[in-house]
Amino acid sequence: MARQLFFDDQQTFLQQLEQLLSDGIPSGQLDVRTPYHLSEIDTLLGQPPSKLPLFALGGALAGFGGGFLLAALTSLDWPVITGGKPIVAVPAFLLIGYLMTILIGSLASFAGFLLLARLPQVDALLEEQDFDSRFIITIADEVAPCTTPN
Amino acid sequence: MQNTSSTEQIEQDVLAAMSRPSRCYLACIFLAGLVFLGGMALWSRQIALGMGVAGISHPVGWGVYITDFVFWVGIAHSGTLISAVLYIFRARFRTSFNRAAEAMTIFALMVAGLFPLIHLGRVWLAYFLFPYPNQRQLWVNFRSPLVWDVFAVSTYMLVSLVFFFVGLVPDLAIVARRRPGFIGKIYRLASLGWVGNSQQWRHYTKLYFFLAAFATPLVASVHSIVSWDFAVSIVPGWHTTIFAPYFVAGAILSGTAMVITLVIPMRRLLRLETYIPISHIESIAKILLLTSLIVGFAYVVEQGLAFYSGNLYEMEQFRFRALGDYRLLFWIMVSCNAILPLTLFVGRLRRNLAYLFILSLLVNVGMWLERFVIVVTSLARDFDPYAWGNYTPSFTEIGITAGSFGLFFLLFLLFIKILPVLSITELKER
Amino acid sequence: MHDTKLSIGGCYSLLLILAATIGLIEYGGLIAQPGSLLLTLTFWGSIIQGAVAVAAVTALVRAQWIASLRRELLALYPLLLLLALLFALLWPQLDLFPWSDHPTIWLNRPFFMGRNLVSLLLTFLAGRQLALHSTSGAPFKDRYAVIYLATFVLSQSLLGFDWLMSAAFPWISTMFGLYFFTEALYAGIAVSGLAMLLYFRPRMQTAPKDTVRHLRDVGLLLFGFSILWAGLFFAQFLLIWYANLPEEVHFVTERLASFPERELCWLFLLGLFLVPFVALLGSQAKGDLRFVSAVSLLVLSGLFAERLFILLPAIPYHGGALLLYNGLIFVMLLLVLHSSERLLPSASFLTKD
Repeated sequence: MARQLFFDDQQTFLQQLEQLLSDGIPSGQLDVRTPYHLSEIDTLLGQPPSKLPLFALGGALAGFGGGFLLAALTSLDWPVITGGKPIVAVPAFLLIGYLMTILIGSLASFAGFLLLARLPQVDALLEEQDFDSRFIITIADEVAPCTTPN
Repeated sequence: MQNTSSTEQIEQDVLAAMSRPSRCYLACIFLAGLVFLGGMALWSRQIALGMGVAGISHPVGWGVYITDFVFWVGIAHSGTLISAVLYIFRARFRTSFNRAAEAMTIFALMVAGLFPLIHLGRVWLAYFLFPYPNQRQLWVNFRSPLVWDVFAVSTYMLVSLVFFFVGLVPDLAIVARRRPGFIGKIYRLASLGWVGNSQQWRHYTKLYFFLAAFATPLVASVHSIVSWDFAVSIVPGWHTTIFAPYFVAGAILSGTAMVITLVIPMRRLLRLETYIPISHIESIAKILLLTSLIVGFAYVVEQGLAFYSGNLYEMEQFRFRALGDYRLLFWIMVSCNAILPLTLFVGRLRRNLAYLFILSLLVNVGMWLERFVIVVTSLARDFDPYAWGNYTPSFTEIGITAGSFGLFFLLFLLFIKILPVLSITELKER
Repeated sequence: MHDTKLSIGGCYSLLLILAATIGLIEYGGLIAQPGSLLLTLTFWGSIIQGAVAVAAVTALVRAQWIASLRRELLALYPLLLLLALLFALLWPQLDLFPWSDHPTIWLNRPFFMGRNLVSLLLTFLAGRQLALHSTSGAPFKDRYAVIYLATFVLSQSLLGFDWLMSAAFPWISTMFGLYFFTEALYAGIAVSGLAMLLYFRPRMQTAPKDTVRHLRDVGLLLFGFSILWAGLFFAQFLLIWYANLPEEVHFVTERLASFPERELCWLFLLGLFLVPFVALLGSQAKGDLRFVSAVSLLVLSGLFAERLFILLPAIPYHGGALLLYNGLIFVMLLLVLHSSERLLPSASFLTKD
């Protein structure tokens, strides 16, 4: 059975976590839940930096290119001069590109977050796990279920 | 650092606001709903009878509807300012306001989005505004500022919604824990099964930062683009390069005033005095003062440069604004937006809630009038004196404007009973 | 060891010598073309006032960013006097401006000189008050920073409208005032990037944590201001391009049609937006001294290119004099930055968060 430790304050929780890790329990066996983000945990557990910036950057670039091309190609598709502006009116289309940078960049970051943080978490919904206001460390069994023969 | 008793206390205090509604609250809902329905009825009448029921005609083809649109988009701005810009600048006082201000952003945008449709007349053709492949092989004109507006406002709406929702996720999980039964399950579902493990938090803080970083330039650009609806034209009084920063500052001024209008009564009624301390309200008042100074600066520059240039049309336009048929509105606008807020240099007045509340109402009046003055006076006195003419709003236009306020307050009242009005998670962190 | 730091008296005497030298070169018959002085002024007017303004803003909002550089920026206040001195030297050269033959109510010689000199002197006095207040040891009063910022906005608006815009009279752009005081703040942050170059190594030994954090803040602010600058530039350009009014668009077309303004335009677009934006996009670059200081220098040269872009078609200049004036003032700036600890000895609120 997994062991669960509950803490009411941040200080003892962090000390205990440090203790457990120095006792040699691999960080993969620990599940840590907190009511708010503590950057100390990431350093303690040795988490790699989040890959979210890649989603943001990718979305932003795709949005910029897509937005500009949408405006330019649809204008070229039926080239009618309006308002004395060139068919590909760069300053105006940069604006569309800029807005799409922000839109697609934000949406891609959000999608990336759902993917990386594994949300929506169906098992948490089904097993009625709650988001506690305490600090919780769950230590998984020594014999992890993943050691099945292959 | 908090121990459990105080975090419990925060949860209880904030969620207490979501308890069974009082009679006064229900009366407010009823009133707001009634005003909203009145506005809808007038809109239906306009759809049935045609645009003739509105006062807009030649030469003033943009009237109260466009004024309302610009006003409500402006109101939306301070929500993003408080939640995103202040987050980037690490200003602590934002936690007292960010949830309410973000909700306000979304509701104001929903209201604002209605006005181009109301102004359109044939509202059932509104989808023509969006670029989509169609049998007629027509695309929208991307060189038109009105299409930029479609993109800007819908981008703003979507990004604000995502930002609002992401901020809510951990709080929804808290509400779910404290609410029994079926309703709790709905909240749990909305929280996406958030449990707050280290994996989730790690990506969550990154996401929040990125959304704030995306929203910060967005807040400046949306109202710039709204201002360009006017400024890319060559109409005297509209075509002026300061318009973008001037509109952005005005938007934040009016939005901040609306935050104060909403938060001061909310703080009192929901007993949130400990979580929204006076010092935080004072900080918001300072933002009001700063933006009012920028708006005042823009008034002076606009008027001054019209006479500096010696351009006949510009000079006549600005003379007309200050001394012509709409002079009363102009001077109310100047006093409410640029003169009265100067009293906030006095620290005692910044901390006086009753004074701030009244001032914020006056600033809202002033900012609505500012948009009215800009939209109407320039059209009323265009280049050709033979095409001059004045405009008075009709009953329908005034009624629909009142209805938009009804809708906005209705949505806000519903919000304070359905969602936590303060960010519980950030309060715990603080 | 010989001390190279300036005392306050030495600083002022050096400023006087500097102003006298520039005056001598301008009027001693050495150069035929006036105009270099105006170009120099429009450039340094932004940088010096902007640097002090950044110190005032961060003190006012109790910001933690770049707190450790506040003293260095504020110590530049004596240079505010240099601006007033140099501006006074401009008096006989006002026929550079196209309006000098047809004066108007706003644009005429006495009023032009009077209002600008008053605003420059007020800015100097307000900056000096702020700096002296910071050394008094009393708890910081917002009033001094607010007064300085008010005079700063006034004189930067005049810089935009009077020094630059009126050279193309009757062309107008209402954004010029706001545009130039934003640019001045941008320049102020670039100056803090330069100060980092001077102070990074010694500070790393005394307070490594703060120094690293503040370097990152300078990087972040440069990045943010590059976007803000691009927004303002675009907002101005778009309206002129879109409306395409002959009396307005000629300002842009005549500059983009000829050498060297066309090249200068690319230079300042690169220096003020594209390069800082791309170079500082990554989070590691924002904390890298080489990136931050190189971008700071680039921003300052971008600003210089932009001043040339605006003024060159309207006024003559002498290349050698221009180079000399700017070189001298730059050395003076570095000397003052270097002497900041002596100029503002007990600036308690400046160094603390």
